[in-house]
Amino acid sequence: MAKEGYQSRMELLQGTLDMLILQTLQWGPRHGYGISQAMASWSGDLFQVDTGSLYPALHRLERKKLVSSKWKVSETGREVKIYSLTTKGKKQLLSERSRWEQLTSGIAGILSPEGK
Amino acid sequence: MRFPFWRSKREEELEKEMTSHIEMSVEDRIDRGEMPADAVVCARRQLGNAGHIKEITRNEWGWMWVERLGQDVRYGARILAARPGFTLIAILTLALGIGANSTIFSFVNSILLRPLPFKNSDRLVEVWEANSQRGINRTGPSSPTFLDWQEQSKSFEDMALFEIGSGTFIGGGEPQQVPALRVTTNFLSVLGAQTTHGRLFLPEEGFGGRTNVVIITDSFWRSYFKADHNVIGQKANIDGLIYTIVGVLSPQFRFPIASEGFVPWPNDELRQRPRDAHDFGVLGHLRSGVTVQQANAELNTINHNLARNFRVMENWNVTVVPFQQVMVEYIRPALLVLLGAVAFVLLIACTNVATLLVARGASRQREIAVRLALGASRWRLFRQFITESLLLGLTGGLAGLFIAYWSTGLLRSALPAQIPIPEAGANALLPSVDIDLKVLLFTLIISLLASVFFGGIPAIVFSTPNPGDAMKSGSRGSAAGHQRIRGVLVVSEVALSLVLLVGAGLMIHSFLRLEHVNPGFQSDHLLTLEMELPTDSKYREIPQRALVFKRILESARNVPGVRSAALTEIVPLTQRDDSTAFLVDGSVSIASDLRIPAQFRSVSAGYFRTMGIPVLNGREFTDSDNMESPSVVLIDRVLASIYWQHENPIGQHIKFSATGRLREIVGVVGSVKQDGLDQQDSPMIYAPFTQVPQQLMSLVVKTDSTPELMANDLKAAIWSVDKDQPVYNIRTMDAIVSETKSTPKLSLTLMAVFAGLALLLAAIGIYGVISYSVSQCNREIGIRMALGAQTGDVLKLMLGNGMLLTLIGVIVGLTASLGLSRVMSTILYGMTGTDFVTLASVSFLLIAVSLVASYIPARRATRVDPMVALRSE
Repeated sequence: MAKEGYQSRMELLQGTLDMLILQTLQWGPRHGYGISQAMASWSGDLFQVDTGSLYPALHRLERKKLVSSKWKVSETGREVKIYSLTTKGKKQLLSERSRWEQLTSGIAGILSPEGK
Repeated sequence: MRFPFWRSKREEELEKEMTSHIEMSVEDRIDRGEMPADAVVCARRQLGNAGHIKEITRNEWGWMWVERLGQDVRYGARILAARPGFTLIAILTLALGIGANSTIFSFVNSILLRPLPFKNSDRLVEVWEANSQRGINRTGPSSPTFLDWQEQSKSFEDMALFEIGSGTFIGGGEPQQVPALRVTTNFLSVLGAQTTHGRLFLPEEGFGGRTNVVIITDSFWRSYFKADHNVIGQKANIDGLIYTIVGVLSPQFRFPIASEGFVPWPNDELRQRPRDAHDFGVLGHLRSGVTVQQANAELNTINHNLARNFRVMENWNVTVVPFQQVMVEYIRPALLVLLGAVAFVLLIACTNVATLLVARGASRQREIAVRLALGASRWRLFRQFITESLLLGLTGGLAGLFIAYWSTGLLRSALPAQIPIPEAGANALLPSVDIDLKVLLFTLIISLLASVFFGGIPAIVFSTPNPGDAMKSGSRGSAAGHQRIRGVLVVSEVALSLVLLVGAGLMIHSFLRLEHVNPGFQSDHLLTLEMELPTDSKYREIPQRALVFKRILESARNVPGVRSAALTEIVPLTQRDDSTAFLVDGSVSIASDLRIPAQFRSVSAGYFRTMGIPVLNGREFTDSDNMESPSVVLIDRVLASIYWQHENPIGQHIKFSATGRLREIVGVVGSVKQDGLDQQDSPMIYAPFTQVPQQLMSLVVKTDSTPELMANDLKAAIWSVDKDQPVYNIRTMDAIVSETKSTPKLSLTLMAVFAGLALLLAAIGIYGVISYSVSQCNREIGIRMALGAQTGDVLKLMLGNGMLLTLIGVIVGLTASLGLSRVMSTILYGMTGTDFVTLASVSFLLIAVSLVASYIPARRATRVDPMVALRSE
């Protein structure tokens, strides 16, 4: 069933999804739809972030005070909920990024040992 | 508004957030050139199940469980309120089950579990002596033996001695006979007693002869001394002697053997008393870390050493038993059996509610499917079911508590104030029974457990259906599955109630046997009145005692309306005993040094006639058997049959000690139940009270009319001989006999009530299942009838269903109850092995009831109109 499918994928991605969301907010506040669009376009449409994962993640990050939110009227005159990074969120993003880089360089080292 | 404001705002925002997400997505798609209608559809499809997304997003809010709980509770309450009939039946069923448990548990808690209100009550033991050769299992030691134990043993912090008795308080209206204990001076402090006025005994009050001081209980201080705060130092006339009141005990102090006053025993007098007078109760306070067995072994060693010096100590062993255990030994098995019984009732009640819930769940299947489709998680649904069950269970528990509150009071008043201490010839006071914190906690726990049990089954069943299936109308597959579950539930219900019915049946059968026991006397029109002579002052000389009782007897015989009157040392069935051992002199078949143990009673002339005890051989005592005439005794049938099987006992001589006076056996009388109707007849020897005078005697009077009405005339007759003589324990023999049956009768009644409840619940369960299957099978019945099936065939089909379940249940139940008579043997009388009569009759009863329970709904099936049934699909 589809539901179980994305649930297991969400679990796999959970750590990274949070990091990716924080990253999309690094250059300024966005609304949920904007975040999903940003992720899609930045990844070259590789990640089609599931809304079923995105919104729980956003609300989770908000509860952890890594992002904050407010309601704003968008340029098209629509009321939208805008998320922005908090200081704590910025720190978290930095540490997650460095962890991610260690992880990828570690994995890269294993995948191509000759390079070392 | 169902949610707090902020909660609702958050909910609204989530909704808005989702909407704006879709709108923006639609706009983008239109911008990219999609048709507006397609764009909306695609955007929604891309978003996925909005309800589910919201649900899992809410999960991230924290706090959620509190809100959900509130939501579940509100939802559950609404669901329950929407079906008041179902809810009422479920709550009532649970209330009965839980109430029964709380009631019995409050008794178990107050009587068996609550420690006695003494310091270190868990280390208090009663010390008895036993002599297997003489057939004595429990009797007190002699006072010198007690003193030897106290001096030599290392197992005890301290040991105290008490003698059960009573004292006559004179002055202030009628002379009052007050239960009292004569105790060693350490007795009250061993128990950790406290005083509200005055002091406990001083050690020096146990030396240098008797000190006439008395300590009274709080209740006696209130009733007799009108709570006079200046009571300390006042004089009281007890048994004609003047005692000084030195202490009033705190209200918490309540010794489980009736006692309102305590007077000290001097140790030097105790030291002088004979080694073979087993008159005393002994309490020991074990040292910490010493087990009952170790103490027992140590005292046995001391006894064996003593026996080298004192031949009378030979064959006397020590029995140490925890004090609390002794006090409740009589009632414990009955309480435990009842506790088991109510547990079964609750199980049945739960099964019944589970059956109801499964039935209702089946009709709620579409609701469940819709909720699942709208994005509720299974866990959430499961929790919803459990919340509903908890609501039911806790409401049922609360209602049960009310039932328990009411029935505990009712039951306590039906229970006697005192229960026998088995084989010890004494009574123990039952503690007060109340609903305390432990009972409340117990009720809460069983309510929760019950909720999880009866709610868990349907919750598991219904939180896992496939929503697609259930939403299709008229799907039959899962309904059949639920019917199977209900079948299993009904089978277990039948089996459980059969076990209970067998239990009740066994008790009824046993009680009927008890009713038919011949006590050996005629209890009608008999009144008994007890008198204890004050021997410390007025009647110091033994012949005086015989004389005053003789005059009282003569005076009583002259009261109009008295058909006959007599005296006995002990009224049968009153938990007191007196035993002896005797030697037969000059018999060819019985060795002259054989000490024959027997019960002993001192009675007056006319005792056997008054009591209606048959004289089988020889004669009974007459007024001419007195101090001057030759000594005579009577024996009972049991004694005669053991030792004089081939000889005529009449004319033989016995003596109570090797050097004692010879007494001639002049008659054989019928045997009488002494300790209880359920006890074996024990060999008995009688002597005329004029030849073996006693200090305590009961007047037994056979009256022409209602015996109770004679009480005042008889008291007046006694007081015409001695105006200060207290008369107490005025009871009819019928009352005494029925009191010995009160505990078995009460437990039987309760058991019957519980079994009846179980039967009713099982019947409701069967009724429910059959009527449900009738409603489910309408179509099938319609087809069968359209094809020519007769009413009888349909009835058979439906009844067969119910009967099959019942029979399986009966077989399971019978197997389970095979061992029951062994488990219950301590509270059953004369029932050994499997009682086929009971098994057969309760099975029959259960089958008959379930036949009726399935007949009512089955009859409905026969009224099915084939056309209507077929069209309804």
